[in-house]
Amino acid sequence: MQPTSFKTMFRATAVLALLLAATGPLQAQTRAETLRYVTGASVNTLDPNIPGATRESFALSLSTYDRLVSFGRKQLNGKWVFDLDKITGELAESFDVSPDGLKITFRLRKDAKFQDGSPVTAEDVKWSLDRAVTAPVLGKNQLLTGSLTSADQFKVIDPHTFEVTLPKPDKLALPNLAVVYPIIINSKLAKAHATAEDPWALAWLKENTAGSGAYVIESFKPGEQVIVKRNEAWNRGTTDKAAFFKRIIIQSVPEPATRANLVERGDADLVIDLQASDVQSLEAKAKLKVISTPQYNAVTFVSMNNQIPPFDNVNVRRAVAFALPYDDMFKAALFGRGAPLFGATWEAGKPPNGGYPIPQPVKVDLDKAREYLKAAGLPEGFATTFSFNVGQASTAEPMAALVKESLAKIGIKVDIQKLPDAQMSTQINEKKLPFFTEGIVAWLPSTDYFYRNFYIGNQRWNYSSINNPELTAIAQEARFEPDKAKYEEAGLKLNAIHFSEMPQIPLWQPNQDAVMAPSLEGYTYQFHRQVDYRDLSRK
Amino acid sequence: MNQQQVIGRTVRGTLGATMARAGRRFLSSLPALFGVLVFTFLLMRVLPGDPAVFFASGPNASKEDVELIRKQMGLDKSMPEQLALYLYDVGRGNLGRSMMTGQSVTKDLRERLPASLELTFTALLIALVSAIPLGVLAALKPGSIIDHGVRLFCALGVCVPTFVSGLLLIYVFYYLLGLAPDPTGRVDVFTSLPPSRTGFLMIDFLLAGDIEGWWAALKQLILPAMSMALFVIAPLARITRASMLVSLGSDFVRTARSVGLSRRHVVVTYALRNAILPVITIAGIVFSTMLGANVLVEKVFSWPGVASYALDALLSSDYAPVQGFVLLMASLFVLVNLTVDVCYGIADPRVSIE
Repeated sequence: MQPTSFKTMFRATAVLALLLAATGPLQAQTRAETLRYVTGASVNTLDPNIPGATRESFALSLSTYDRLVSFGRKQLNGKWVFDLDKITGELAESFDVSPDGLKITFRLRKDAKFQDGSPVTAEDVKWSLDRAVTAPVLGKNQLLTGSLTSADQFKVIDPHTFEVTLPKPDKLALPNLAVVYPIIINSKLAKAHATAEDPWALAWLKENTAGSGAYVIESFKPGEQVIVKRNEAWNRGTTDKAAFFKRIIIQSVPEPATRANLVERGDADLVIDLQASDVQSLEAKAKLKVISTPQYNAVTFVSMNNQIPPFDNVNVRRAVAFALPYDDMFKAALFGRGAPLFGATWEAGKPPNGGYPIPQPVKVDLDKAREYLKAAGLPEGFATTFSFNVGQASTAEPMAALVKESLAKIGIKVDIQKLPDAQMSTQINEKKLPFFTEGIVAWLPSTDYFYRNFYIGNQRWNYSSINNPELTAIAQEARFEPDKAKYEEAGLKLNAIHFSEMPQIPLWQPNQDAVMAPSLEGYTYQFHRQVDYRDLSRK
Repeated sequence: MNQQQVIGRTVRGTLGATMARAGRRFLSSLPALFGVLVFTFLLMRVLPGDPAVFFASGPNASKEDVELIRKQMGLDKSMPEQLALYLYDVGRGNLGRSMMTGQSVTKDLRERLPASLELTFTALLIALVSAIPLGVLAALKPGSIIDHGVRLFCALGVCVPTFVSGLLLIYVFYYLLGLAPDPTGRVDVFTSLPPSRTGFLMIDFLLAGDIEGWWAALKQLILPAMSMALFVIAPLARITRASMLVSLGSDFVRTARSVGLSRRHVVVTYALRNAILPVITIAGIVFSTMLGANVLVEKVFSWPGVASYALDALLSSDYAPVQGFVLLMASLFVLVNLTVDVCYGIADPRVSIE
């Protein structure tokens, strides 16, 4: 009796030890092949085109769907960033632009397959792009900026050749096919789920994917987490092989301090939305890799409504521009983490180049500010409110306090107003805020694009509500200017107008601080300001 | 008629009376629920902030996009029309669609309510199990070191806001000691979930016979439940102490003592049972408040509950989820009050006599 039980116990122990020995390394290995990304936001749709789609949804769609083409990457100050000038094929094997610039011909990869195994054909491409320009989706307004407006422009030549016709040469047409929206959808699968009221299967594609992308959805819990697994057949990466990670977990963790703890303890691999103070301390500890890239397609402003008195007076706007404590704001709001757009010196008062945004020749100079106020006929100053939204409170709150303090010195009395995000966007849209801070971002940053979208017309994104006919004319014309020297000249003119009119004050380009496990490699700052999971690998 | 029969009839009578009273209470709460429905609907629309503008915030969103979303959300119709449509939909069990998650509100709430309930129940259990003995101990020796100790503990628990205690607990048990799992939701991402039967993970894991998973879920649950419990121990312990003091000083306890009943018998059976009524009332209120007010704990621990869902919706002026949440909370409040009523009847049969 006793020997038997001893033997059983021995066996059990041996089996247990074996199990432990076997599962230990196995688990470690699967963890190494899994990427855990934590974020304060969440994915709310699997189709990036659905109105209301979040930025995390955009990022996910880059991994679940392919586009015809994609952007390359380049090194800028030792960091990888997207390169708008290098467009490479994704589903297209190659493409040609006709000499007159009116036709773009794409030859599709013959080996490309959708995730259900059916081949990708030019018919699918046509259906997908037709959908992007005709259905009530977000892609419509984006593709408009590249002169892609109608289904008639897309033509199937043969199953693997596809042609796009343009009304006039537009340098943004091709880049527009590489942005988030023009995903290539498995049209047979999508059509099977379309209904009479919903011919473009918007409802179905919101909760399902029908793409050919690098990752397949494993589970999708809106507001909590998304888990995707690698599509082994995918070979559209730069090295013509499947993506590195076998599994990616995209998890919503609302509390920034918790996200910092997770990545510091090694439980999460990557996070890009930490508070500047946490990034600072994590960088100081030097246990993790921190890649900080100025978001060079984004700008943070102090905006003034050029139609509301007293900001309709250019001298008031100039006074404010010379009364802001730029350095203190930069330190208090961002801990200096970004690229400043102030404190430049312009030779002979002329802008040094035609790019956008460029550092402005402004610094805090209270005497000058007082002179401008006097010139505006308001030597005693005035009272106004300065608004920012709750979502940006961590950076905007210290900034607002400094603005208030500094403007008080020249007699401008500022009340600080903190608004819930929806309320702030409504008031901006209705042009009711006199003085506030906001940011802008452009996916395809070029000087004319910025000026056309953010300085023209009575629309939400024209924060300063500026209405300057000269600026409008130059920017509209520059859009189709093929000559580089002339384009640069237009940019110089626009920048000069911006400085003399001072509709709003560019402050800085905040950093995108990507904090990651030291073993992670390949992180690239992307135009959509999210992570493209396909870039990443582990040493 | 023998004694047994008399007791049987009394018990049956008590239970029947309690049920009848509960039913009447339920019926009388229906108009209130309707009022809540209409009031929230109007309130959301009076609040400044246009959800259509907020959700159309892509880098190229135009006026048409805003109009499109407005139409999708039904905001292009007149207010009475919207209200009529909303009431019709609610009547059919459809609470609308959330712009934020892209899901129907009913589905979102159904998935998230168990998470909140599980957390709140656990927190309440921890709070009751520690508050009642603390209160009783303090009442047995008023003015003693124990009494002051309990008072200090309660004061500290109330002073420290739940998110501070939550962050502190995370810092100590997760970050420094590494004892707790990462504070990211109900279960570790690498653990596979049991088939959802009740939505309560503690129960679902047991039903699936997955002890390892059960333990993983319990570990996730302890810290958030503790930080919520810390906050509500104070009112429960204080009310227990006060009500125990009254009942210990009353005639029947003195009589029980004088006839030489054991101390345990006197304290637990006579004093505590009579003192428990206000504790039940407070526990009911505490439960309802916790369910709605645990938003900070849910945020800190990434707990996928209803409160953080409602807060996110409110910040983005997403009408349907907020309305759905308020309706849910109102219904739960009614339900909790009914339960408290029934508990009264059990704790003190005199309550049923009207």
